[in-house]
Amino acid sequence: MATVKINGKEITIDDGTLILDAAKTAGFDIPTMCFHARLSKLASCRVCLVEIVGQKKLQPSCVTPVMHGMEVLTESPVVKSARSSMIELLLANHPLDCPVCDKGGECELQDITFKFGPRQSPFGDNKRRFNEEDYILSPVIVQNANRCIQCKRCVRICAETVGVGVLGSIERGAKTGETSFVREYLDCDHCGNCIEVCPVGSLMSRSYRYKSRPWDLKGVDTVCVYCGTGCQLTVQARKDEVVRVISKPEEGINNETLCARGRYGYSFINSIDRLLVPMVRMGNTLEPTTWEDAVRAVRNGLSEAINKGKKIGGIASSRLSNEELYLFQKLMRGVLKTNNIDSGSRWDTAAVKTYAEIMELSKGGLSIYDALNTDTLLILGFGISDENPVTDYIIRRISGNKKMNIIMASPRGMKLDNSAVLSIRHNPGTEGVIIGGILKLIYDKNINSLKNLGGKDYLKDLSKEKVSDITKTAWQDIEAASGYIMASNTITVAVGSDVLRVPSRIEFLRMLIEALRILGKDVKLFPLFDRSNQRGALEMGVHPDILPGYNFIDGDGLGADGIIDAASRGEVGALYLAGEDILSDFPDGVFAREALRQTKFLVVQDILPTETTEFADVILPGSSHAEKDGTFTNGERRIQLVRKAIEPLGGKADWETICLVAKALGIKNMEYSSPSEIWDELAGLAPMFAGVNHKKLEPDGIQWPCPDIDHPGTAIMYTEKFNRPNGKALFNFREHIASAEVPDDKYPLILSTGRRRQHYNNGSMTRRSNAIFNQWPEESLELNPFDARRFNIKDSEKVLASSRRGEMEVKVHVTDRVQPGITFLAFHNRDALTNLLTNDALDPVCKIPEYKSCAIKIEKLNGHK
Amino acid sequence: MLSEKAVKEIEEITTRYPVKRSAVMPALFVVQKEYGYVTEEGMREVAKILGLRPILVFEVATFYTMYNKKPVGKYHIQVCRNISCSLLGAEHVVGIIERKLGIKVKETTSDKRFTLSEVECLGSCGTAPMMQINDKYYESLTEPMIDDILKSLK
Repeated sequence: MATVKINGKEITIDDGTLILDAAKTAGFDIPTMCFHARLSKLASCRVCLVEIVGQKKLQPSCVTPVMHGMEVLTESPVVKSARSSMIELLLANHPLDCPVCDKGGECELQDITFKFGPRQSPFGDNKRRFNEEDYILSPVIVQNANRCIQCKRCVRICAETVGVGVLGSIERGAKTGETSFVREYLDCDHCGNCIEVCPVGSLMSRSYRYKSRPWDLKGVDTVCVYCGTGCQLTVQARKDEVVRVISKPEEGINNETLCARGRYGYSFINSIDRLLVPMVRMGNTLEPTTWEDAVRAVRNGLSEAINKGKKIGGIASSRLSNEELYLFQKLMRGVLKTNNIDSGSRWDTAAVKTYAEIMELSKGGLSIYDALNTDTLLILGFGISDENPVTDYIIRRISGNKKMNIIMASPRGMKLDNSAVLSIRHNPGTEGVIIGGILKLIYDKNINSLKNLGGKDYLKDLSKEKVSDITKTAWQDIEAASGYIMASNTITVAVGSDVLRVPSRIEFLRMLIEALRILGKDVKLFPLFDRSNQRGALEMGVHPDILPGYNFIDGDGLGADGIIDAASRGEVGALYLAGEDILSDFPDGVFAREALRQTKFLVVQDILPTETTEFADVILPGSSHAEKDGTFTNGERRIQLVRKAIEPLGGKADWETICLVAKALGIKNMEYSSPSEIWDELAGLAPMFAGVNHKKLEPDGIQWPCPDIDHPGTAIMYTEKFNRPNGKALFNFREHIASAEVPDDKYPLILSTGRRRQHYNNGSMTRRSNAIFNQWPEESLELNPFDARRFNIKDSEKVLASSRRGEMEVKVHVTDRVQPGITFLAFHNRDALTNLLTNDALDPVCKIPEYKSCAIKIEKLNGHK
Repeated sequence: MLSEKAVKEIEEITTRYPVKRSAVMPALFVVQKEYGYVTEEGMREVAKILGLRPILVFEVATFYTMYNKKPVGKYHIQVCRNISCSLLGAEHVVGIIERKLGIKVKETTSDKRFTLSEVECLGSCGTAPMMQINDKYYESLTEPMIDDILKSLK
């Protein structure tokens, strides 16, 4: 500890604390310009200079640590004059075009000049000019280089956090400026984090350009809807139109960073395509009608199904709020008396149980920062850079500041590979066997310590050759991975849902975790979710076998696949889809279409027209996350507030609609005045939420369990052992089962599917957000250069891709992100309906549709048609 | 495209350093020798060979003045105008060359033979005034010497 005197005020503070932070603690704010708390230190602007008594020269407080006995003056006449001079120097070349600058009103240079700056300047020289007109740097960035003050924040965030490093500082001296390579169009994440950190109006958002002034905007702090990371962001609207999304430095786990989807994926909210009026089917067409009529039609359809003894099913999207998901399951279970309820995650009962057990989901988990306080981070079964971009940023930023071995295991390359010590490429669906190989090596070296390891007999047959043959991974990689793991004391295993979308045996993972714990290592588990409220959906009981609060039941309910399957046999009398587009989500699109045709009555509650809404008997307009209050639960079980920025465009929020339907069915106890009231009801049912209410969730949310109102929430849980009496896991072991469809002579390539960083799920939201749609307008099939030569196909060439189930024309993108023999297609584009090709073979154990892997062939178009 | 020889040379240079990135400056000189100046394509190639992001190479190339960012003539005359040379008549040397070649500083003759530049100290103060033409130093310059030197360069 060091005792220092700041402006005469004595404080005792940790050694190594920066003067800047110490002064803040003492209650003195030192202005800064180039400084950014989460970036490397530069100390180039000299605005934060302070006087240290006894030292002749002023020191930059943003890099100078305190020393015991130090006396610092932050407001002495010398400091004030130096500060003013530094600001004057920043302004020497900075154009005074504030009236036409987008940054006006929220410009850090403007604020600092107003507060501390000189009121006049003697500089009469011409200002430096890089360009007369602003130039476009990327689909989302427009640059005015003249306004740049060389703080290099954009350069630092691009390289250190985002990890693409496309911005740099060119030239020298007075001519220095930040820009791209030869000022060319950027090929990057288009995340806009450089715009966010730019203190002046040098880097500006193209979509927000000349749209508004900050003081005309009405903003609310809410949570992003695009993935399980759960970033906090601020949605800003002018009149009833959302014009910008920004993030605040000190709020949320994302700390000011957002990805392209989060920052630019908002235009769908005010899209002209929005479903705003309820519609009811009249013969072959859907006709607009009133809410009363639509709800009456829903009541009639549901009642008819009940009266005829037909099955009723409900599938709700995991982008609905916890409150809505809770109401939806209440409607299904309490009113319609059925357990046929699921979220669109395509997870079956057994799958959720396996995953929840291995990842210890129902017991809680870790915050991401605790999970990253580790020696080795193993990321398995998740395209993290594309699916959870901000988690990717957080990992990169943390790993840059400390020694942490990142091991990536995935079928397809991704950006985080650059930060990894080891990237293991394997065939899709063989994650379990990779873990088996690592485990085998560890077991062989520690046979004595691991003699009681459950399930060890299964390792006998697992030879080196067998692992390499199944996974197509070099054995050295697996050896290296086990080496890193064994050399670490703390190991974090981050597992995404991919491992459950393929018929891969991940029991080895459970064994590995147990083995490492027996060997005295600290193993932390971190689940990765691809949808914003996937965890919330499970916790709210939107699942046939789970009641709110993870109360597992052995019910008779059907999951999403079971419902579709029953529908195809004509057994489903009514199906209620809340925000789900099953036609583009379901692995076998042809089959799902047939199932919807056989469904007597289909209600779709959604915000935008999709493939599925075309089959609806009644369409109820949904509300986007910007139009309602509620909560989302992110991957680290943090419950965060979603707030209303604008009134529901369709007139009703989703929770109001569900209540209306319940009321029409004659239910009395489903009337609420606000989502907060719904939350209070559900919190009363689940002890882990008992101490949570909406008010308490401000500003950063709460991690459950939170059993009573005074409880602060829980950040770390059950890191020592499994929550079983003997501390060991149960085993339910099976051999690796190859994919139902493997490549052969006729269909020689493996097609694996997933997401792109620019889009989300069926793309109905992201494709309506121009700023990001333009980044990836057309889906293309990724093909390794080796295969491109083999089939004589060029980059950007259109080919006919076909499987045993369907065919589609698609553009080819030749890239080494995929391994030879493997192709990749995302499922975001309505024009490229990937599920016409994929396989709906269910994993024999988990019943997960095989969405990750099937066999296809590609043919040149001119030879075919 | 860089010639095979140039690529080999850059690869050889990388072996001298513990990390490849350190080779960026000598590698850029190889590019300059190859094309006469540092081209956009050359920078991209250096980035690729050294496994760097192109912007990092661009930063280095634009920071240092001795990388030519524009094409120069066959003979690049760089006259030192730092203090020792200036005291002993660097300005006069520049004037002579300008008159003889009919160009101003930063210009190239129409036959693309000569480019004239003024540079900072070349570390040859003891033999001022001096100039460098391509890789060669010409020291203790006088007007007749300059005359002979220019004539000898065809």
